[in-house]
Parts: sequence; C-alpha cells; structure tokens
Amino acid sequence: MPPKICVLCEKSKAMVKRPKTGQIVCRDCFFYVFETEVHNTIVQSKLFNPGDRVAIGASGGKDSTVLAYVMKTLNERYQYGLELFLLSIDEGITGYRDDSLETVKRNQEQYDMPLKILSYDELYGWTMDAIVSQVGRKNNCTFCGVFRRQALDRGAAMLGVDHIVTGHNADDIAETVLMNIMRGDIARLGRCTAICTQGEDTIRRSKPFKYAYEKEIVMYAHFKKLDYFSTECIYSPDAYRGHARAFLKDLEAARPSAIIDIIHSGEAFEVREEIKATQKIQQTCQRCGYMSSNTLCKACTLLEGLERGMANSGITDKARKKLDAAGPTPDNIRTIPFFKPPSGSPAVTIDVPL
Amino acid sequence: MSSCDNPNVEQDSLMTRRKKYDGKTKACVKCKENTGHVVIRHAVYCKSCFFPLIEARFKKSLEPTINSSGPRRKTLKAAGSLVIGFSGGIGSRTLLDLVAKTYYAPREVDEEKLRGGTNHPRNKEQGVWTGKPIVCFVDTSSAFSNTSLVEEARIIVESYPGVFDFRPILLEDAFDQDWWRKVGGDLSESASGLGLDITDQDLRLSYASTSTSECSPQTALRAYLASLPTRTAFYNAIQTLTRVLLLQTAASENASHLLLGTSLTSLSVNLISGIAQGAGFSVAEEAIEEWTPEPGCGMKLKVVRPLRDVGMKECAMWTYWHNLNVIPSLNAVENNGRNAIHTLTRDFIFGLETDYPATVSTIARTCAKLAPKETPSGVCLLCQRPTHAEVQAWKAQISIRTYHDAASAVSGNTRPPHLTENEIASLTKKTQDDLSTSSNTLTPFLCYACHTTLTSRSSRGTTLTLPPGISPTNIPIPRWITQPMALSPQRSNFLNADGEVFQSLKQTPEDLKSRIEGFILSDE
Ligand SMILES: [Zn+2]
Ligand SMILES: [Zn+2]
Ligand SMILES: [Zn+2]
Ligand SMILES: [Zn+2]
Repeated sequence: MPPKICVLCEKSKAMVKRPKTGQIVCRDCFFYVFETEVHNTIVQSKLFNPGDRVAIGASGGKDSTVLAYVMKTLNERYQYGLELFLLSIDEGITGYRDDSLETVKRNQEQYDMPLKILSYDELYGWTMDAIVSQVGRKNNCTFCGVFRRQALDRGAAMLGVDHIVTGHNADDIAETVLMNIMRGDIARLGRCTAICTQGEDTIRRSKPFKYAYEKEIVMYAHFKKLDYFSTECIYSPDAYRGHARAFLKDLEAARPSAIIDIIHSGEAFEVREEIKATQKIQQTCQRCGYMSSNTLCKACTLLEGLERGMANSGITDKARKKLDAAGPTPDNIRTIPFFKPPSGSPAVTIDVPL
Repeated sequence: MSSCDNPNVEQDSLMTRRKKYDGKTKACVKCKENTGHVVIRHAVYCKSCFFPLIEARFKKSLEPTINSSGPRRKTLKAAGSLVIGFSGGIGSRTLLDLVAKTYYAPREVDEEKLRGGTNHPRNKEQGVWTGKPIVCFVDTSSAFSNTSLVEEARIIVESYPGVFDFRPILLEDAFDQDWWRKVGGDLSESASGLGLDITDQDLRLSYASTSTSECSPQTALRAYLASLPTRTAFYNAIQTLTRVLLLQTAASENASHLLLGTSLTSLSVNLISGIAQGAGFSVAEEAIEEWTPEPGCGMKLKVVRPLRDVGMKECAMWTYWHNLNVIPSLNAVENNGRNAIHTLTRDFIFGLETDYPATVSTIARTCAKLAPKETPSGVCLLCQRPTHAEVQAWKAQISIRTYHDAASAVSGNTRPPHLTENEIASLTKKTQDDLSTSSNTLTPFLCYACHTTLTSRSSRGTTLTLPPGISPTNIPIPRWITQPMALSPQRSNFLNADGEVFQSLKQTPEDLKSRIEGFILSDE
C-alpha cells in the first residue's frame, strides 16, 4: 500500500490521524495546525496585550508542559511581546507533586522561564497529605481545588503578573459543561466556557487550550519529545466526576467532534436574565481579602474547619451549623495572610534556577 | 489536566448518593392514612393519592399554555385543534390516557363523579380544543426494516371509543411528494430533483438526477439515512424527521397544540444528548417550543410536553395501575444504538438515575434557566428550530481543515515551515476556484447541530449501504428542504441561461472514511 499523503499540504507523508477532525496529516502540518488553532484562540479573544506579564500555571503534567512550550513558540513567532513565567503550586502530596515539581524545574531551564513555587504549607499551614489524614479521601479534592485556585492568584500577585494561563483543554471544558448541568451549578455553567475570566480585583485567567483536544496535546508532547510527568494524582477525584469523564470518552468515541460540539453548546446559551438577578454578588472575604460570595471565602471556611478539627464544615450546611454552634472562631487558629492585589511589579524575588 | 485541578467539585455534596427512600415511614405523605405504595422523590404516596398527584403535574405543565395570549380567561379555550404525537412508549401511553380522562371523559364518568358529591369542573373543560383530537403515530419501520406497529398503535388509540382520530404517518412521508402536497406544500417540477452531495464537505446541492427524483419515498428515506456519516446522525435524523412530520401534520390540521409524551427522564436525556450534538442554542426548545408554519399552512403551533415534570418511573406506575398496554420496544433505537450519542446518553442518564436520583430533575431544572446568548437569525431548514449565524466561521476558526482560506495569514515565519511560498500559494489559490461553484450549498441554511449531523465523521460509520441506483452525489432530501431551496434565488445557479440543467458533480478530495484505526499512522 503506498503511503498516504497529508490532506493539508498534499506533499508529505501522512503520519497522524487528527483526533479532532479525523484528517490524515503529516507531522509538520499537525504541529502547524495545532499551534495555529491556539494562536487563533488567543487572537480571537484578544487575550493579551504587548508587554503583559503572564504566568503559566505549571504542574509538570502534559497540559501545562505543552502549554509552556506552545506559549513560548507563539510568543516568538507572532511577537506577542509577553513576559512569561512559570508558576507552580506545591500541594504537598508525597510521591506525586514532589516528583512533578522536578519536571517543572527542568522545564524552567529548557524553556528559559523564571519559576515561582508556592506551597499550601506556606500559605495555609497545611499540606494535602495532612488534609487527607484528617478528612480522608472523600472530599479532599474540594480542599485541593479551592486552595489551588487561591494559591495561583496569590502566587501570581507575588510575581506581579496580570494574567495566568492554565492548561485546561477542550476535554476538561466539555466535561465541566456537563458536570455543571448535572449538578445544577448555574453560576459556573455561565462562565465555564468563557475563555477568560476575571473577578473584581483578581488576576485575569485564561485557557488558551480551550479548543485543543487532550489526545492532540499528548500527541504533540510525544512528537516534540517534551519532558513531562505523566502520573495521575494519587488522591483520585470523586466518583461523580469520574462518571462524567467516562461518558465524555464514550461520546468522543461515537463522534469525535462531540467535545467541540459540547463547548459550542455551552457558548450558545447563557443563564436567563431573570435568574442572573437572583445570583449572589461577589464581595471580598472579611478575613483574607480574597473574592468571595459570602462574608468568608471558601478557602477560609475550609481552613477554619481544618483548624478546629471539623473539616466537613466547609462541605455541608449541616456540618457548618455544627461548627457555628460550637462557638465563635477562636483567635489562635491559623488564617490565610491578607490578599494584596497585584501592584504591577514583582513583590518577591524569583526562585533562581538550580 | 487532572480532574482535581478544577475547583468546581465543591458542590459535590449535592450529589452524594442517597437512598431513594428511608424505609422508616410507611404512611402516605398526602393523606397520612393509607399505606404508601410508591416512592416519588423521597416521599411515599398511596395509590389513591398518586393519581391526582400525576394529574396535577400534567395540568400544571399543560394548562398555562392552552389559552392564546391575551386577557386571562377563566375557561380553557385553545385557538385551534389538538394533535398528539404518540410513539406507544410509556410516556406517550400515559399522556394519551391523561388527555382522554382529563379533557374527553365520557358522560358516565362525569355523572359518577358528580354523584360522588364532587363538583368536578370537567363539564366546563369540554371542548378546550376545536374538533376531535388527532393522534399521530409515526411509523419508523422502514428505517429499521422491521415490522410495522401501526395496528398495535391503532388498537390502543381506538380503545378510547370515539375520543381520538387515529392518523398513521410513515417516516418516508418526509420524502413523499403526495404527502407534501397534502400538508399544504407545493413543488414545482424543477424542485423535485434537488439532491444533496454528501461527499462534499460544503454540502453542495446537485440537481435532477432522474433516478433520485423517481425513486419511491421508502428508497429515498433509506438513501438519506444510509448517506449519513455516523450512527449518531442516523438516530438524530430519525428524531428530526419524526418531529418535523408531526409539526407539518399538526399545522395542516389547524392545530394550536401538539402534545408529546416526553417524560422528565426522557427530557433530561434529550437535553444532554442535544447539548452533546451541538444543539445548545435551541436547548430551551426541548422543553417547550413554538413553531410558525409557512404562511397559509396553518397557525402558530405550541409544542408542549405535559409530562416533562413526571418521571419515567411514575409513568410506568400509571400505565401499570391502569392496566394500559404499551407497545414493547417500539424502536430499534432502544436496542441497536450503540455508538450513537443519543443511546449512550440514555444509558448514562438511566444509570445515574439509579445511584443519584436527583440528577434527572436537576438537568431539566438547570436547562430551564438557560436562554440563547444571541437572538436567532432564522430557522434551520432541516430541523425547523431557531439558529444563529456564523456557524461556519466558528468551526473554521477552531479546527483548521484546509489551508485554502489561510492565504493572508501564511507568510514568512507564520507559514507552515515545511512549505515554500509557492506551495502554500497553490494550496490557497484553490479557494477562488471553489468559491465560484460552491454557492449552491445547504450549509448556510442549517443550524450547528444539523450541519454537524451531516458532516461530522467517525471511524465507525453507519454500515448502511445506499440503495441501488442512488448516487452519493445526489441524495434525496426531505421535502420541506427542497421547496425553499428551489424557491431561493440561488436556484438560478442550477439552470443556465437557457433553463438547461447542469449537474455539479465533484470529485471527493480525500478519503475521509479511512479505515485506519488509531491515530498515529506510522513511526517515522
Ligand atoms: Zn502536511
Ligand atoms: Zn478568605
Ligand atoms: Zn394517600
Ligand atoms: Zn437544524
């Protein structure tokens, strides 16, 4: 059988069947269309301005490693004029994050980008290992997710950046659309397909891989021989999200465009005006100054529960009432340092490469 | 990213597994006397309280839609007649029974009730709709090549003597000129040969292959279904054809209401399945929709699903306790749809309903809070639902399928590095040639979901083959598409100055149906 020819350039030997389109393309065309689609996403949504300081949320995993590489490539190719940083959060998970951080440290040298690592221990006084030993494995992802979001913003503020880009890919976003519908989370459903989100005084966050298929990210890393850490988090996510993920994989197998089609659906609708009006207004957390929909932000609530040995108080209303009934917040518990919005210049020195 | 990278999990407490019923309380929550027989959303009901509960939910969904807008009237009076879409399944069986008992109950029953001392308002409700209600049964047997269930349906519908008119519709009527004339459409000779070139990514229309215009409606239906690229598209097409056949029939009967027996469970499946097929723009239509027929072909039609707040299990209880026959496994959709998004979704939702019983109603409630982000730019020619513009631009931006329209962007270091300037120029130049012949396409008239149905491919096709004599470049299309396409000014493109017909045949540019499994074709 003669080799198949790339349908895009009609010249080179086809090497890849693109998961996203089903087209048979050569390796160079695959790189080119993958990168150009990310570039289109960036340009179309006017994500950056020349001179922006942009932190890449780096976990050492495939998504953020490919994101760092592609951001660097596009920044040079199209002269975005961005100053790029790597920002890593150390959740304190032995056997997982400590190893993946080694990958990030190598990326720092390979891509020649400054790296900042901020740990849960440093910020909250708790590592994920310690949290899991208190709350067990049931709700630990709740803690991790809430803590990471705030840690990223705080790390970004320390770096003096105005923008964080994360490696969320099309699969993640499609899954989140489905999850938010199934859980009735109207507030998140409204914003989960937004490419860029911004709270009142927090740093802009965006997802340049919004339309990039997970499979293509893996293929890109494979062909470019990128150095990434491929182990899944040892504290596995909740069963319900697992169902949604497995369902999405089935949909993709039935028709590969399903991932993009779900995102399209998510972009096509919005929460009706009369419902929006009843949603909670954003305010700032009384205790730590971070954006919040209550007087106390989610991270402070979770932290207080941990400190007082009633970790579930941040998870269920019932446990919250129990905590309130146990008396006022004691003065001696650890709290999160007050949040200082970015001032435009770095507030801390950057870790030097090893 | 690993799934815990997303902080959205905090709401998961809502979704913790619950026991369906605590097992402690035995008495009915309503009358507090009888022993409970059925558990609905964590509450126990006895048999005699169950029926009014379901009736109340049915009326609550239906009755606010009955009177046409204007001053609120005390009596229910619809603007036109009533058409019911009947599939024979549990939901539509329950619907038929509820409609008959609530609005068309025989006299004796009324008097019995009145004798019982209840001042039942049934008398006032007589004649809500004009004329006799019509029950339509869409016979899909030609699509699956199995036996027709029309007679089973007829027996059920006629088990309410004198209440309903039974009206069987064949799925292939969608391709039948005679049917189309009957519902008020008209076709000039020139339109009847219009077909779709399914090998063309732009969905070019082709004209007047005699074999297509002369084949039987059944052959046309089979050709249309066989030409679709995926199992997902196959089932979606049957759903769409069924829905539009019901719409057209209802309009031709001067109906103001078309009722469908979609239960809460089915509604949730339809919502998620629609979203997974890119139909987010018309997500609100799944619960309730309004359709305006062509001028002179009927009045504005409300499509109502009065059981949208009643679960499948409750419908099953209703049919069981009333001893109602259901047509067993009516559709092959029920059994044979592996690899189709709709069936995958159904299996997924049914599975969740067992472990997380709240999910089904949460999905429906969430989607009821959504509205399209933009105002509709028109109605999709195929599915007749609202659509918005710029579907193609969006798709092209997100997935680059050709360098043809990249001319301005690909120069210098932004060009694919392995191509010379001449090479990229020769690839982009084709665009101009294509443009001159590609104006007769269906694409701009389709919604995102329908365009995806006709174009999105998968390594697993439908395994159906085209009937003999049908060319993939001239696939028959539903009659409601041919008319407006033939009437549109673009039609002139099919005819040269002398009115002579030319065919726009095109070579398939690539073999998209590659059989190659896996994505990486070779190593180095
Ligand atoms: Zn190529
Ligand atoms: Zn706080
Ligand atoms: Zn009772
Ligand atoms: Zn459509």
